[in-house]
Amino acid sequence: MSDSDDFLRVSDVSKWYGDEQVLHDVSFEMDPGDVTVLIGPSGSGKSTMLRCVNRLAEAQEGSIRLDGEEVLSPELDVDDLRREVGMVFQGFNLFAHLSAVGNVALGPRRVLGLSETEARERAEAQLERVGLGDQFDSYPAELSGGQQQRVGIARALAMEPKLLLFDEPTSALDPELIGEVLEVMHGLVDEGMTMLVVTHEMSFAREVADEIVFLDGGRVIERGPPDQLFERPEKERTGRFLERIASHD
Amino acid sequence: MSASGTLALAAVDSLGAFASGGALSAAATDAVASGLVVGTADWWFIGEPADWSFVLDNADYLGVGVLLTIGLTVASILFGFALGFPAGAVEVYGDGLLKRAVGTAGVVLRGTPIVVILIVMYFVVGVPQVNFGVASLSPPVVAGILGLGLRSAAYQSQIFRATLASVDDGQLEAGRSVGLSRFEAIRYVVVPQALRRSIPGFQNEFTIVLKDTSIVFAIGLAELLTRGYDLFSERTTAVLEVILFISAIYFVLTFTTNRALDYLGTRYAIPEGEST
Repeated sequence: MSDSDDFLRVSDVSKWYGDEQVLHDVSFEMDPGDVTVLIGPSGSGKSTMLRCVNRLAEAQEGSIRLDGEEVLSPELDVDDLRREVGMVFQGFNLFAHLSAVGNVALGPRRVLGLSETEARERAEAQLERVGLGDQFDSYPAELSGGQQQRVGIARALAMEPKLLLFDEPTSALDPELIGEVLEVMHGLVDEGMTMLVVTHEMSFAREVADEIVFLDGGRVIERGPPDQLFERPEKERTGRFLERIASHD
Repeated sequence: MSASGTLALAAVDSLGAFASGGALSAAATDAVASGLVVGTADWWFIGEPADWSFVLDNADYLGVGVLLTIGLTVASILFGFALGFPAGAVEVYGDGLLKRAVGTAGVVLRGTPIVVILIVMYFVVGVPQVNFGVASLSPPVVAGILGLGLRSAAYQSQIFRATLASVDDGQLEAGRSVGLSRFEAIRYVVVPQALRRSIPGFQNEFTIVLKDTSIVFAIGLAELLTRGYDLFSERTTAVLEVILFISAIYFVLTFTTNRALDYLGTRYAIPEGEST
């Protein structure tokens, strides 16, 4: 099923918080341009798994290879890794003291070493891309949740990442603001961005995912293309979870 | 007549039936009995014109004290910041021996009376004269700046420790997620926010240091308050006038610096939305 040429290859990743094991031998693979969606009940370890990919969380066992490089290697420069792997947070985590442009430009300016003008131009282009061409100088507290999250996406995009991680990007949003964020994410899918997404938005998962990975209790219970997983789940636990989610939609 | 006599009389004069304390009443009766003429009631709270002219005649003497007070305050605050800010950062982000050492130094400095710190600096450490080419600082001034500065560093470290820790961890994480190193994320993301939140605490610290500069009298320096003390010791009828004059100077200094810091806070305030 997998080979060493996979773009992202997560193999047998395990993680403990103290004595509690939160990930049990998690494995999945992605090709460039793939969209993989991690689903599962809260506490299932999906966010933790996502954060292991850019080392915001440390996996104790297993292997994560990105473009042939071992992410979990102690010798790896995590800053180099993170400049290539963007992240969008559930709580946006926009830099509160910087304008929209300032938020997006900080990485290009300080990490990529662009000049102030170049960084600003790049930031403006990314903000245009997420539909915020009219909010360059707004501060996070002046923006709606949906706008803030789009700035968050622009901030990640400005680093021109080869992989984008989304950690429940719409979970903190009012229902009427979810659409604008999903729309931007749809656009990225269409552009061929490689995306690893943790979300409860099942219709989004269904529409755009190449593969769905269902996690429960830190284990991969089942994975497969959305049609198969949503229509004919092999495991009873998957079916139960999907029913529960569906009854809330 | 004595200053307390003037005060007491004035109090009786202007407050009429208001019952004064026993000692004051006795002094007042004594003063009246001696047949002295008291100024009009309107004057009681600002003193005798003659004593005011005494204060004004010595304005240059007090002026030197003001300069010393300002100089000690500014130098101590700056020294305290240069030391206290990194110390606060170490208490939040550091670990191991360094963090423990900084924490202990802070506890010791905050737990030691400022007079003791100054005396240790001057008599025990025996700081030297410091030359800056055109000017030089005498050993007591150096000891004063170091002592007040060290103690201020210990307090400032707590201001910055609290405000650095108050910035949400998600901010640091987001900074790291675009590839900033830990130091860069702290420097570019956390510190700018923490400094803004430090302004109210810093206003307090500035005010406290300004007024505590008077304690350098313990190592023989005559700043504003000590010079005032010298003056009213020389003319004991002018205690009120001297003290009022000096208090007014302290007030102007604290008020203007606090307003300046208020302005800084407004100028760099992070814009807030109507609501989200």
